[in-house]
Parts: sequence; C-alpha cells; structure tokens
Amino acid sequence: MFLYYCDLAWRSIKKTPMLSLLMVLAISIGIGITITTLNVYKTMSYNPAGDRNDQVNSIQLWSQGLDTWDEFNTNMTFTDVSNLRNNNELAIKAASYRTGLAMQSDDETKAPVLRSVRVTDTDFFTIFDVPFLFGNRWNKSVDLQPAYQVVIGEQINNTFFDGKNSVGKTIYLNRKPYQVVGVIKDWNPKPKYYDPTNGAFNDAEHIFIPFSLSEQEEFDVWGNTSGWRFEPMLSYQDRLRSEKTWIQFWTLLETTEEKNQLQSWLTRYVEQQRSFGRFTDTAKTPAESAQISPVDKLLEDNNAVPSDNKILVGLSVLFLIVCLVNILGLLLTKFLKRAPEVGVRRAIGASRGQIFAQYMVEVGMIGFIGGIVGLLWAWGTLTLLHAEFNVDPSVTGLDSSMWFVTPLIAISTAALAGVYPAWVVCRTKPSVYLKAQ
Amino acid sequence: MLSMKNISKVFKTDLVETHALREFNLNVAEGEFVAVTGPSGSGKTTFLNIAGLLEGFTEGEYCLDGVNVSNLSDNKSAQIRNEKIGFIFQGFNLIPDLNLAENVEVPLRYRGVKSSERKRRVEAALEQVGLAARMKHLPTQLSGGQQQRVAIARALAGEPRFLLADEPTGNLDSLMARQVMELLENINQSGTTIIMVTHDAELARRAQRNIQIVDGQVCDFSMYQKADHSVVAELKKVADQKQAAELNQIVSGA
Repeated sequence: MFLYYCDLAWRSIKKTPMLSLLMVLAISIGIGITITTLNVYKTMSYNPAGDRNDQVNSIQLWSQGLDTWDEFNTNMTFTDVSNLRNNNELAIKAASYRTGLAMQSDDETKAPVLRSVRVTDTDFFTIFDVPFLFGNRWNKSVDLQPAYQVVIGEQINNTFFDGKNSVGKTIYLNRKPYQVVGVIKDWNPKPKYYDPTNGAFNDAEHIFIPFSLSEQEEFDVWGNTSGWRFEPMLSYQDRLRSEKTWIQFWTLLETTEEKNQLQSWLTRYVEQQRSFGRFTDTAKTPAESAQISPVDKLLEDNNAVPSDNKILVGLSVLFLIVCLVNILGLLLTKFLKRAPEVGVRRAIGASRGQIFAQYMVEVGMIGFIGGIVGLLWAWGTLTLLHAEFNVDPSVTGLDSSMWFVTPLIAISTAALAGVYPAWVVCRTKPSVYLKAQ
Repeated sequence: MLSMKNISKVFKTDLVETHALREFNLNVAEGEFVAVTGPSGSGKTTFLNIAGLLEGFTEGEYCLDGVNVSNLSDNKSAQIRNEKIGFIFQGFNLIPDLNLAENVEVPLRYRGVKSSERKRRVEAALEQVGLAARMKHLPTQLSGGQQQRVAIARALAGEPRFLLADEPTGNLDSLMARQVMELLENINQSGTTIIMVTHDAELARRAQRNIQIVDGQVCDFSMYQKADHSVVAELKKVADQKQAAELNQIVSGA
C-alpha cells in the first residue's frame, strides 16, 4: 500500500503544481534557515575530544588578587606552569602557548614565511592524540634540556620538502636551525580545543617546538595575555616572573583517582603559594582555587559557542513553525478540496486509517522534497557566508549528518503540520459527498 | 440477505428534528432485484446510505447477510462495504486522476488483493461492461454511459453480494439508461442482490420487486404489481402517507 500511496501522492502533487510549489517553498525556506543555524551550532559545539573528554583535562588556578576577575582564567602564569611541569606526580602533561616565527629551509628557492608556532611539551602530541605521518615527537628529555627540534605539519612538509620524509632535515625558525623529528598528518581540530582563548575556530598550527626553549629564545606571545595588576614588563624575564597569564596547561588523567590526587596536590600547592605571598584572594579556599576542567567544560567556560548562536537557532525554529502554520493552512485547503474523492474511497471500502495514511504519505513526500530543497538552501547560504562574509569554512561546511538529519526533520515537521488536515479529511462522511459529486 | 426492523433516522439541528426514516421495515432476499421509488425528500437516499453502511441510524436493527451491523465500528463498516457491497452512483463518482483500470482496482487495493489477481479481476470487470479496450483512458475521455459502466465495473470487481445503485441512470439519456439497466439485470441474474433507487417508473417496473418510500416509510406494491399493473400504477399516483401506511399494514399483515 505504501507504494500505492506514494503514487497517489505524486499524482496529487503534480495535479496542483502551484500549491505544491508554495508548500515546498515554505517548508524548504524554513528548513533551510533552521539547518543553516543548526549546522553552524552543531559544528561549533562539537567536542573533538570525543570519548576522551573526561581524560583530557586543563588546569586553572585562581592566582589573581581579591576583587579582580569573576571567573577562572583559562591561562596560567609562567611560574605556576613551571611548577606544574616539575610535578613528578603528573605523568603526562604539557604547557602550551602560541607564538609566530619566520620559517625557511635550506632550499633557497623557497621564500621564508611567517607562521604561527605552537610552543609546547612533547606530551602535547599524546594528550591530543595527534597523528604522525613520519618520525615522532621529540624525546621527553628535551622538555628538561632544551634542544632545537621541531615537529612540522603535512602542509609545511609538502611545501618545503615536496611531501617526502623530512625527518632529520633542518628548517630555520627566526634564522635558528631546528631539526625535524616528526611530521604530523593534517590535524585541525574544530573547535581548536587545546587553545580556545586564541580564536576557537582558528586553524591549528603546523609547527611545534619545545616549551623548554622559551626562556632562552624569548618567544613572543601570539595570544591573550591577561593581568590583574600593574607590572612593568621591561624584559622577557619580567614577563616570566609576572602574574600575567598566557600559558595553557594540559594533562591526561586516566582515572578519577588520578584526578583526586591532582586536586589534592593543587590544593597543597595553593596553600604553599599563599605562604609565599601569592594567591591573595582568600575569599576562596585553597581547594576552590584550583580547577581541573575536562574539554567540554573548558569549551563552555570559554563560550566556544556564543550564546547568540543558541538564540539564532531558537529564532530559526520559530520561523520554521511559522512556515509550518502556513503549510497547515495550504494542506487543509488542498485536502478539503479532495473531500469528494475521499467520500468515494470511503464508500468503496477505505478505512479512516487508510485515508489518513494516504494523506500522511503525501505530506511526507512534500516534506521530503522540501527537505531536499531546504538542504540546497542551507548549502547555498553556508557557501555564501563563507564566500561573501569570510566566515571560517570549518563553521560553514555542511556537516555530513545534515544530509540525513534534514530530510528527517523536514518529513517530521511536515507530518506535524499535516496531521490535522489529514485527520479532518479522513473523518469525511462519505454520504455527504456522494450525492453532491 | 438484508433485514431492517423499525429503523429510524433523525437528523437533529439546534432548531429542528427531521425524521428521514421512521419505523422503517424491509426484507430483501438473496438474489432479489428491488427498485425503490418515492418522491424527493422521502428518505430514499438515507435508506440507501444506511443499507450501504455509509451512515448510522437512530433506532432499530439492521442485519446484513445474517450479521447484525447495527453498531459496527467505522473500520468494520469499511471492511464490510469493501467485501460485500458495491455502489453505483448517479454522478458515477469515478476518480478523475485515475484511468479506468486504476479506478476499477481501487476497492481491491483496499482489500489487499495481490497484483496479479487485481489485474485479472479488473480486466474481467471491464470486459463485462464492454470497456476492456479503453482500460488506459481517463474518465473524462468517456461518455456518461461509459463512465457509469466503469462505475459498475468498479462495483463488480470486488465481487460484491449486494449492489446498491442510487439513480444509476439519472444522468443518462434513455438509450444509455436501457443499456445500463440491461447490464444490471445481467448482474442480478448471476446472483447479485440489487437495490436500485430510481425516479424512472419504466425502469422500476423491470425490477422483481418495487417498493415506494413515502415520508420515511415503506410502501411495498409488489403483491399488487404482480396481480395488476394498472391498479398499482393508479394506487401509486394517489398514494399519500395514510394510504401508504395502510398498504404497508396489509402487506406486512399478510
């Protein structure tokens, strides 16, 4: 019967092309706008850590003074990061910040380029499960004893080494030679969860160098630096000794026990720092002054998905509802016009259920067509957002799940609009129309 | 086959109550061809709608094919209509978007008959009404008489035991009306019970039994019809409610 209903639905759609077009347009525009906002929202609220969310944790400390900030700062001071790096209880840990360096290779034909560089520890690659194409991360000893080693991305490797295995080769960063120890595959998590303070949807860096080089190379900070009191910054050492926050700190905690141990360690650490005259905001207890945030919490705290976005999704759903009310009216008109035919069908043996099913299939078909057209609207709008307004392609790319979700939403919403008209028409009293036809 | 006892049908609005049928009694035996006549507004169509389970009734008891169908659910009524009853309407009531074969197969679709069996029955039904060659035509491409034959084929395809025809020749010229009537007679001869509502006295006379509905009640002239057609005709002319009631009493008393 389903195929029979589909056949009838298609004939009915063809019979009233203008009315059908209006309905398809109404539903497709509603769906198009909803899917566009939903797609952006879904992309932005995606958690790249997946099922490792609870294991990958960032640490924040309430190192500021009294009456300063209302929230934990995502970044930490160099002092705290150094102390945490020296904490042997933490097996896997990585400090991380962004800088920018001029890069060139031995190939004189390749012009130097200015690139974002991630300054970090070797465990960064383990914590964020970064996939390697050639070689590996630098040795853990480099985190203690600085060495000029580098891990580069596939794109850089393609540009400067024609895609060949460049492990052992040299690149120059700000004229200093760095030995390539590893090449990672294209890796560009969205949101950029390992540093949401630097534009959550910016591209990941393609060059990674040891954090241990920071003091001797005095890398600039290409990211947010926050301070809660005036501190003269006349030298790099001033920055390192200051209470300015600019470094992220990550660790991998496999179990709750490990998490509890770290929390205890951090509490003790805050107490110790207070005895040194730091962490002066005593409104918070030492335990409250340290926070371990899994990825989802960190993204939420950093408003990776702006609240405007949620409002936009809500508004687009309201718009879809307006479209549905219009469709409901059109369907009611269309179906009631066919009441005499329903009367005949009922007279010759169709049950109410069969008539209802027939009309719901028609509604579903209109919804499906509307969904497909709506998907094209969404795709066009997203492409326009990228082309005309330079919105990041990672946000404007149509999520693959939308190809399945959109027709489903379209059919469901059309069905919602069609229930009442189908119900009205299936309750048609056949005797009313048989004589009148 | 069909037995109605003291059937009443009252249409109510806020202001008035209209008694379409009152203490309506009728028995139709299997294989009978009954013509129903009566003035406009007498309750013929209401009777046909109730007989065809298209409408409920206010009081009384209705048995169809030995089954009490007085209080059936909507689904069950639809099932009985589909399996046991065929309808022929004055306005043909074909579905304009479907071709002849598709129109004829509609009741079979709802019955869940398999494709091959459907095809066989549709062809046989259209063959029977002489339209097998025009299977792919749309109803609008046919004359009124041909459309009515398609409607008959649709009713026949379901192999009903009981055919209800509401003014089947009302929209046809006399030649086509005769052809349709002959078709109905042939169908009746093959064993299908037919109840036909008509205004045409000539066609009504061709039925085995002739009943008249006056003010929602039955006047059965069959006994007199067999005895003397002229007397019956005369009685019909002067029949009023009182006479009809008296005659009904005589008939049922007999």
